[in-house]
Amino acid sequence: MPDAEIPPVGRRGAGRAARRAARLAPVAASVPFITRRIPLYAVLNDEGLALIEHNADTVLEEVGIDFKGDAEALALWREAGAGIDGERVHIPRGLCRSIIAAHAPAHYTQHARNPARSVVIGDDHTVFAPAYGPPFVHDLDHGRRYGTIEDFRNFVRLAYLSPWLHHSGGTVCEPVDLPVNKRHLDMVYSHMRYSDKPFMGSVTAPERAADTVAMAEILFGADWIDPATGRPRTAVTSLINANSPLVWDATMLGALKTYARANQANLITPFILAGAMAPVTAVGACTVTLAEAMAGIAFTQLVSPGAPVILGSFCSSISMKSGAPTFGTPEPSLVLFVMAALARRLGVPFRSGGALCAAKIPDAQAAYESAMTMLPACLAGTNFILHTAGWLEGGLAMGYEKFVMDADQAGMLQTLLNGVDLSPGGQAMDAIREVGPGRHFLGCAHTQAHFATAFHTSSLANNNSFEQWEAEGRQDMAQRANAQWKRMLRDYEPPPIDPATDDALLDFIARRKAAFPDSNV
Amino acid sequence: MADELDLNSLNDEELVGQMHDDLYDGLKDEIEQAVHILLGRGWQPYDVLTQALVEGMRVVGEDFRDGILFVPEVLLAANAMKAGMAILRPLLAETGAPKIGKMVIGTVKGDIHDIGKNLVAMMMEGAGFEVINIGINNAVENFLAAIAEHQPDIIGMSALLTTTMPYMKVVIDTLKEKGMRNDFIVLVGGAPLNEAFANAIGADAYCRDAAVAVETAKNLMARRQGSVQERARA
Ligand code: B1M
Repeated sequence: MPDAEIPPVGRRGAGRAARRAARLAPVAASVPFITRRIPLYAVLNDEGLALIEHNADTVLEEVGIDFKGDAEALALWREAGAGIDGERVHIPRGLCRSIIAAHAPAHYTQHARNPARSVVIGDDHTVFAPAYGPPFVHDLDHGRRYGTIEDFRNFVRLAYLSPWLHHSGGTVCEPVDLPVNKRHLDMVYSHMRYSDKPFMGSVTAPERAADTVAMAEILFGADWIDPATGRPRTAVTSLINANSPLVWDATMLGALKTYARANQANLITPFILAGAMAPVTAVGACTVTLAEAMAGIAFTQLVSPGAPVILGSFCSSISMKSGAPTFGTPEPSLVLFVMAALARRLGVPFRSGGALCAAKIPDAQAAYESAMTMLPACLAGTNFILHTAGWLEGGLAMGYEKFVMDADQAGMLQTLLNGVDLSPGGQAMDAIREVGPGRHFLGCAHTQAHFATAFHTSSLANNNSFEQWEAEGRQDMAQRANAQWKRMLRDYEPPPIDPATDDALLDFIARRKAAFPDSNV
Repeated sequence: MADELDLNSLNDEELVGQMHDDLYDGLKDEIEQAVHILLGRGWQPYDVLTQALVEGMRVVGEDFRDGILFVPEVLLAANAMKAGMAILRPLLAETGAPKIGKMVIGTVKGDIHDIGKNLVAMMMEGAGFEVINIGINNAVENFLAAIAEHQPDIIGMSALLTTTMPYMKVVIDTLKEKGMRNDFIVLVGGAPLNEAFANAIGADAYCRDAAVAVETAKNLMARRQGSVQERARA
C-alpha cells in the first residue's frame, strides 16, 4: 500500500507480548475494495472493438434474441421500438446502447450492513467475491460430498475472515440438506448474520428474489431508503445468467425484474461455453456475449431506469474431444480482455474472471488454471471478480483448501493492482544515500520504517530451507491450507448484530417457512 | 472423398468396409445409398445393421473414447448412422429382429441445461437407438405425452441443478402411480447426480457420461429383451 501509515516498531513498544499479539493476529481487512493504480491491458484497438460492436448490433437486429415466457418483457420491448416476432425480439441497431447510455449508472455502491465494508463497483475499482453455485464441497479430510447449510455458513465465515475478499458472494455452495423452495431464506440469512460484507441474492424464482429484498429491507431498517433519491439503497447484487445462445428465460427475467424494481443490482451474464453456446472464435464469442448482455442490460433499464447493473462475461471453452467444459485456457482470457474493453465503451461496470479450474483437488492444475484467469481479470480492470475463491471442478465443487489458497493469491493481486509508489518514501533516496556502496539495507532507517508491509507475505507459501520444511512434516500447500481454514473457523467470531434486527429477520424467515409446505420441486 | 467412387462397383465385403469409412467420415448420403445397395442385393436388414452400421460406429466410439475424434466429427457420424437407421428401422420391425431401442430424453422441469443431454442423444443415435429429444424444462406431463406418442423403451432424464434433480423422482413416482414404471428403463444423468441419488429415486441407472449411457442402455435392453424372450418361451 503506497500511502499506508506505518505503525512504529520502536523501543518504546510494549515488548515481546505486544508484538507477538500484533504479528500473529489475523491481518485486518486492509481496504473494503481495490482501486487499481496500474494501466489497463488491451488486446484489441478501437477499430477491432468497433467491429464487434457492429456485429453485435447486427445480431440483435437481424437474428434477434428470445425473451421467453414473459409477455411483459415483450411489451416493454415493443414500446421501446423493437420488432417482436413471437417471443423473438429484433432490436434496431444502436437502441440498446442508447437506452444504456441514457440510464445505466457507470458505477454504484453496494451497501454492506457494516458501512465500512460497502463496496464501489465500477470505474477503476475491483471487488473480489467467493465462488458461486457448487453443489459439492471438498476438503482433504472428507473428500467430495454434497454441500450442506453448515458448509454454506463455513464459507461465509471464511470469506468474512479473509482480508482479501471484499464480498460475501451468493450461493457459496448449495445447501442440499434444505428443502429447495425454502433454502434461499437460510442462505440469505447466513450472509447477513455470519458476515457484515455485501452479498448476493436468490435468483431461482421471482418470489425468492422478493424474499431477499424483504430481508435486506429488514436488515437495513431505517437506512433502507436513501433520502437523497427516495429509492432503496442497493444492498444486493444478483447473478442473472443468459441462456446462450440468444435466449433470456422467464426464471431469470422474473428475478431480474424483482431486483431492478427494488433498485437492487443485476449482474447480467452471458455464461458461454464457446463451441457449444457460441462460435469457437474469440470474436464470435464476444459478439454473442455483447449482444446478449446489451439486450439484458437495456431491459433492466426499461424495467427500472437507473437501476444498477453490471455487464458480466463468463466465457469458457469446451473440450472438443469430450464436450466437457475447460477452464484456465488462453482463449477465454482473450475474450475477457476484449469484453472488459467493450464494457468500458458501453459505460457500465464489468464482471468476469475467477480462480477457475477443472481440477478436482487443490493441485498444480488447480493453481495454474486459476492463475491463468485471475491475472488477466485483474489486468483487464475487471470491477467484480466472482469465483475468486474456492472454485474446483468447473464449479461443481467448493474446496475448503482451495478457498484459502485462492484468497491468499487474491492478496497478492491486490498488491499488484495497487501499483508503484512514486512518493518520496517509495523513491527511497534517503535509504540509498544512507547505505551507499557495498553495504546492506537491512538496518537503515527506511527499511526499519517499512519492512513489515514492504512485501506481501503469503500466509501459505513455504519459503524455508529444505531441511526445515522436512522437519516440519513435508507439508504441501494443500495440507498447510487445511490447517489454516480449520484454525480460521475455530477462532471465528460472528460480527455483532442488533438483536432486534436479528429477531426481525428470524421472525420473517419463520413466517415465510410456515406459509407454504416444504417442497423439493 | 467418396464422390469419385461408384459404390455399386464394390463387392459386398468392399462395400461394408467402405461404409465403415463413410460412417467414420460422417457421409450421410453415401451411407443411405450403401444401405439401399445392400438391401437390394438381398441382405437381411439385421445384417446390414450389425455388420455395416453398428460395427462402423463401434470404431467411431472407440476413437472418440481414445481422444482421436472430436465431438463435431462424432456428430456427423451419428447423423449418418441415424440416416441409415431410418431406412432400416421399419424393415427390422417387420422381420422381428431384436430391437436396438427407442429413448425419450429430456431435461427436467426448471432446468435449461442441455449440452450434456444433447451429447447423450447424439451418442445414442450413433449407437442405433431411436431418440426422441424433448428438450429442456420438461414437466412430468411432457414425459407422459412423449411416452404415449412414441412408446419408448427407455426414458432418459437430465438435470444439472441440485434444485431440479428431485424432480426426476416426481417423474418416476408418477410412472409408479400409473403402474407404468416397469414398462421402461429409466436412466438419469447430469454432473451433480451420483449413483446413490439414482438409487434413492428409483432409477435403473445413473450414467456419468454419454458413453456410459450408451453402454448401460445396451446392457439393460439386452437384459430386457432376454427376459421378454424368456417369458415368451415359458
Ligand atoms: C440418460 O440420461 C442421461 C445420461 C447422462 C447424462 C444426462 C442424461 N445428462 C447429462 N449426462 C452426462 O453425460 C453428459 C455428456 O458426457 C454429461 O453432461 P454434463 O451436462 O454434465 O456435461 C456437459 C457435456 C458440459 N457441461 C455443461 O454443459 C454444464 C456446465 C456448467 C458450467 C453450466 C452451464 C454451461 C450453464 N449454466 Co449452470 N452450469 C453449471 C455447470 C457446471 C459444470 N461444470 O457442470 C451449473 C450446473 N449451473 C449452475 C447454476 C447455479 C446455474 N446455471 C444456470 C445457467 C447456465 C447456462 C445457461 C449459462 C449454461 C447452460 C447452457 C446450456 N444450454 O446447457 C442457471 C440456472 C438456469 C436454469 N434454470 O437451469 C444458474 C442457476 C446460474 C444463474 N444464477 O443464473 C451450478 C449448479 C447449481 C446447483 N447448486 O446445483 C453449476 C454447477 C455451475 C455453478 N457453479 O454455478 C454427463 O453429466
